[in-house]
Amino acid sequence: MKYDVVLIGGGLSSLVCGISLQRTGKRCLMVSGGQNALHFSSGAFGLLGFRPDGSAVERPLEELDKLPANHPYRKVGAAKMHEYVNRVKPFFASCGVMLDGDPERNSWRLTPTGTVRPSWLAMSDVTLYEDSVVSIGRKALIANIAGYLDFNTAFLAEGLEKAGVTCRLEAVALPEFERLRTSASEMRSVNIARVMDHDQVWKKFVEQVCVLLRDEDVVVLPEVFGLHDEHILEQIRESIPARVVFVGTMAPSVPGIRCQSALKTAFEQAGGEFLMGDEVISSEMDGERVLSVRTANLGDTVLEADHFVLATGGFFGRGLQATAEAVSEPVFGLDVDAPEERTQWYNPDFFAPQPYTRFGVHTSENLRAMKAGKEMENVYVIGSELGGADALCEGSGAGIAVMTGFKAAEMING
Amino acid sequence: MTNKNEFDVIIVGGGITGAGTARDCAMRGLKVLLIERHDIATGATGRNHGLLHSGARYAVTDRESATECIEENKILRKIARHCVDDTSGFFITLPEDDLAYQAKFVESCLAAGIQADIIDPKEAIRLEPSVNPTLIGAVRVPDGSVDPFRLCAANMLDAKLHGAKVLVYTEVESFIMEGDTVLGVRTVDQRTGEKAEYRAAVTVNAAGIWGHHIASLAGVNIGMFPAKGALLIFAHRVNSIVINRCRKPANADILVPGDTVCVIGTTSTRVPYEECDHMHVTPEEVDLLLTEGAKLAPVLENTRILRAYAGVRPLVSADNDPSGRNISRGIVCLDHEVRDGVKGFVSITGGKLMTYRLMAEQAADAVCKKLHVNQVCKTAVTPLPGSATGSVEEVSRKLWSVPVTVQKAAAGRSGDWAEKIAMDHPMDRSLVCECEEVSVGEAEMAIRDLDVHNLTDLRRRTRVGMGTCQAELCACRAAGLLAKAHGCADRARADLKDFMNERWKGMYPVAWGETLREGEFTQWIYKAVLGL
Amino acid sequence: MNDHKFEQCIKCTICTAYCPVVAVNPLYPGPKQAGPDGERFRIKNKFFFDENLKYCMNCKRCEVACPSGVNIADIIHSARMRYGHQKPNLRDMILASTDLMGVMARPVAPVVNAVAGSKAGKWAMDTFLGVDQHRTFPKYQFKGFVGWFKREMEASQASYPRQIAFFHGCSTEFQHPEVGKAFVQVMNALGFGVQLLDEECCGVAMISNAMWKQAKQHARHNISAFEAAVAAGLPVVTTGSTCTFTMRDEYPHILGVDNAKVRSSIVLVEKFIHDLVDQGKVKLVFRKDYKARMAYHIPCHMEKLGWSIFTKNLLQMIPGADLTVLGSGCCGIAGTYGFKKENYAYSQAIGQPVFDEIARVNPDFVVSECDTCKWQIEMSTDYPVRNPIMVLAEALDLEATSAANR
Repeated sequence: MKYDVVLIGGGLSSLVCGISLQRTGKRCLMVSGGQNALHFSSGAFGLLGFRPDGSAVERPLEELDKLPANHPYRKVGAAKMHEYVNRVKPFFASCGVMLDGDPERNSWRLTPTGTVRPSWLAMSDVTLYEDSVVSIGRKALIANIAGYLDFNTAFLAEGLEKAGVTCRLEAVALPEFERLRTSASEMRSVNIARVMDHDQVWKKFVEQVCVLLRDEDVVVLPEVFGLHDEHILEQIRESIPARVVFVGTMAPSVPGIRCQSALKTAFEQAGGEFLMGDEVISSEMDGERVLSVRTANLGDTVLEADHFVLATGGFFGRGLQATAEAVSEPVFGLDVDAPEERTQWYNPDFFAPQPYTRFGVHTSENLRAMKAGKEMENVYVIGSELGGADALCEGSGAGIAVMTGFKAAEMING
Repeated sequence: MTNKNEFDVIIVGGGITGAGTARDCAMRGLKVLLIERHDIATGATGRNHGLLHSGARYAVTDRESATECIEENKILRKIARHCVDDTSGFFITLPEDDLAYQAKFVESCLAAGIQADIIDPKEAIRLEPSVNPTLIGAVRVPDGSVDPFRLCAANMLDAKLHGAKVLVYTEVESFIMEGDTVLGVRTVDQRTGEKAEYRAAVTVNAAGIWGHHIASLAGVNIGMFPAKGALLIFAHRVNSIVINRCRKPANADILVPGDTVCVIGTTSTRVPYEECDHMHVTPEEVDLLLTEGAKLAPVLENTRILRAYAGVRPLVSADNDPSGRNISRGIVCLDHEVRDGVKGFVSITGGKLMTYRLMAEQAADAVCKKLHVNQVCKTAVTPLPGSATGSVEEVSRKLWSVPVTVQKAAAGRSGDWAEKIAMDHPMDRSLVCECEEVSVGEAEMAIRDLDVHNLTDLRRRTRVGMGTCQAELCACRAAGLLAKAHGCADRARADLKDFMNERWKGMYPVAWGETLREGEFTQWIYKAVLGL
Repeated sequence: MNDHKFEQCIKCTICTAYCPVVAVNPLYPGPKQAGPDGERFRIKNKFFFDENLKYCMNCKRCEVACPSGVNIADIIHSARMRYGHQKPNLRDMILASTDLMGVMARPVAPVVNAVAGSKAGKWAMDTFLGVDQHRTFPKYQFKGFVGWFKREMEASQASYPRQIAFFHGCSTEFQHPEVGKAFVQVMNALGFGVQLLDEECCGVAMISNAMWKQAKQHARHNISAFEAAVAAGLPVVTTGSTCTFTMRDEYPHILGVDNAKVRSSIVLVEKFIHDLVDQGKVKLVFRKDYKARMAYHIPCHMEKLGWSIFTKNLLQMIPGADLTVLGSGCCGIAGTYGFKKENYAYSQAIGQPVFDEIARVNPDFVVSECDTCKWQIEMSTDYPVRNPIMVLAEALDLEATSAANR
């Protein structure tokens, strides 16, 4: 089968790249080994949240020239970064995902443990604040679903109390959730959301919250609404006579799944072909050109393409693999930026920056993959498969995915 | 005048020896205080192989130790049923080993009272499919595995049921002395900084390798020989029978199945005394354990490694062997009045995890002698709490009509003590730790009854966080329960950070493959999403 | 040790979000607990086996969703085989022995169909066997596919330049011989002669119903037949998605029956034809007057095979086809699962979103490779379901295609 572009990996970077390409007339096929890391997204995207010294960034674009030369943003280039940041909201809106926030200035979001973290753009579940001292309100009612263990109300309350908000904790019990709770393990965010998304259920829930509400000006709820349709969030906000703030839970992420679903649909509606639960197992190359790939499921049906995009998601996505001796890239055997000595891969302090987070495929300035020191003509690397950034510590995971996704699409379009 | 700070005996050290001694003394009617500076089983008790020795390993070189082992092995199977897994064990001879050693080995075992049957290698493979198929000889012995946390907790619990008082997170700062007599201890509560004094006619030093320091507080010198041992835990139970090498004891030649995992160990390197509180596993140790382990069970080469850990053997120095392996593992019970002229002070050290009961008996005998109390030891014949009934199957069916997996797991961990765990309401049965099937009910019971102050304590008693995700899914849930129980979220949050670091400590020495992937995933969830 | 890569699980919980059973049945522990979590305990002691693993439909959606490559459903069904105590009752054996039931029912098909379709008959099956009375039974055909083939078509097959072996499966033989007929017509038009195999039921229902010994026997028999065909240069082409999946993957993964010599030669007709067209080796000529509005329901096992792209591409080649691909969702029947009284309500709850979407799309008919999906959708909606090979047979100008491929 012949395509213009084969994208390997089905995460945020690949979807952004693939949608962009498909909409400019390129025939794309995307191969994904399973569901992606958006399933664990907080619902907020980060462009650049922290400097290496740990201080918070206010205007990400002003920090670009301080980034090291092999940082993905440097490869995208300052001019393109400026152009792309203003493209993000309309792009996501065109896929049915409404994002809040100022593309050029960071805001703050409330985390499930009651702390605050810088955010760039966020889905409508997430409330964004102008300043780091979260001006959430004076008094908050934190309402959980009775029996739900993955929403840590104690931490949340303690964090808010530190910020000067008086908190009260309540739990709402409904027969529908009691039925869910009969399962020892499956009362998770997604399963609650599935039940909650029925009109009669979320309305009953909201009624109960209103009954519990006293003089609080803010109601805090877990992000267990709107698995498919975010309009429920709006309706809930309108039905409660207080400001409603949704806060994330343990995995999986309801807004993350909604976003992923919308992007995949947008890709397919634009004519893209998506293969779920498959992986590339071999390739045919001619010098520095990849001619075709084969996948586990398609067997002897060969996928030929003019361009290939490697968006295999680092260690989580299995795009990078580490044995006790070395780190490698399993699809094309590309060069990986990683030290040989295993003891240099990690930091013993869990909360300190971890060297392995920076590992990735070595690319040229143009995001083209390097193999045995040579630049591959038609293989682009995007997203967390790229090296050169500690996306976790600097808060740039989604930003790198989106920016490099746009950039690679533009380069392929020539 | 009985004072709440006055006891018959004070025991310093909350490892298996201290816990066993507290139980024995309490069962003999003494008023007991046990003081532990961290949590129970944080020394060698919590960092060993979990092997219920048959004693075969020592049969050739140390007959006395071997005999002690097999006697205690039989006793523990009866009194600590829910802590012991009757796995049986093989001593295998590989092509590079000397098969002639096997005959000597069997002879020595039998002489020590240890049943040792030579079996055909093909039969060994049939019984234990993971064993190295190139083996040329196999001997079957009554090895087993034991959960040291559970054993320690059960002893502690029984001591308390017999009136003992247990103080954890309390450190002995100095002895109250009058001349050359130890009258008691001065302590500081590690959490609050509060100081206190406790008095007793006899103080027992059961502080393991730190016994050297405790003894010095009384002006007594015990030469201790810290010998570090490193081990690896694999993600699932590869073998069902303990696999040993049939040769003179050396590094990494025992693979022990324990609960849902298996453990390969161990090494032996002399370390300076100061390192005892900061043990790290080196890459060389990891590589050695893997290489030697694969000789016992080749599948280990491709088995996920969960974590690496190291412990220190509390050996009393007796000779100049640099590796520490040939030091007698015998029990050392020192009456310091006789040895050093210091009255009211006894040290109990040396030995092994599985001879703890005998060590405790000797210590309790020494205590009773000093107190002129004439009570006989009953610890060998009285089952520990949880062990009154039999197997996990029997216990489960006794407690619940149709036991579900989480109930079976609780019965496996707590024996009949599991009846104390609330299981009727769906909320009680809901899982905190999915990898290890620990319910809210079980966690709350531990918090309520078993001296749990933080997540690591909870982990020791229930296995929360000891599964393959290494607390990624459960830490936050467990922290929520603790925050509720203690009414303090700030402390729970700091505790959560400590707990994640403690889990990472065991993961980073083996941070490649799935463990690295798990580590990265956990980092993302806790730092980026949860904002810890 | 065939461990289905359960150690690769990093406990991300994604599988539980895509399990159709978790969504409706709180008694089911979920794929994560039933699979990789539970396996560590079962290895320790088989006492830890949970009987509620029987609620797993074996749809494999957990595996498709897993980012870690864990064969979750394989772990679950291997565990059922190794540690479970489930013994199939009479009902399970009747439902699972499709070959045997077919052979017995066929001679008296009108009677069987009438009884199975009557209120009294359904009541009796519900009360005495535990087959839910709401379930519509597919009708047995008096005359099966093989009989027709041998009478009408067999003689001419050798004249074709290329040959293939056809695994027709139970439902084609006993209930839907028209599928087999369409297959032969299309294959012949493309220049391929069709040969039958010494085949038995693939055994998927036996796997679901704990008839392990019988399933293995069927597996060995079929692999043996396939090896003979492959040795003679014939690929084994199929029309049923679940049979195909079972013989390629369940045979080695769950039954431990080695199929390495033939796996890559077992291929669904849609992939077979698509690849030939893609490589320019055959031509398809469609009728100019064919017009149809169709909705493609992808069966769960097609999602697992990853081959819906072939069916979709073929259907899109039809000029008069107005094709909607339905959203990814399980119809709920899961083979014999949905016939059972204790599962019926769950099955219908699982399939409801699929039924609703079909009604919204309002096609002329639904297309699907799986016959049990067909029965489920036809019972639960007002729409007929056609096998893609039948759609092709109707849409192709068979004569012109035949001429183009000579």
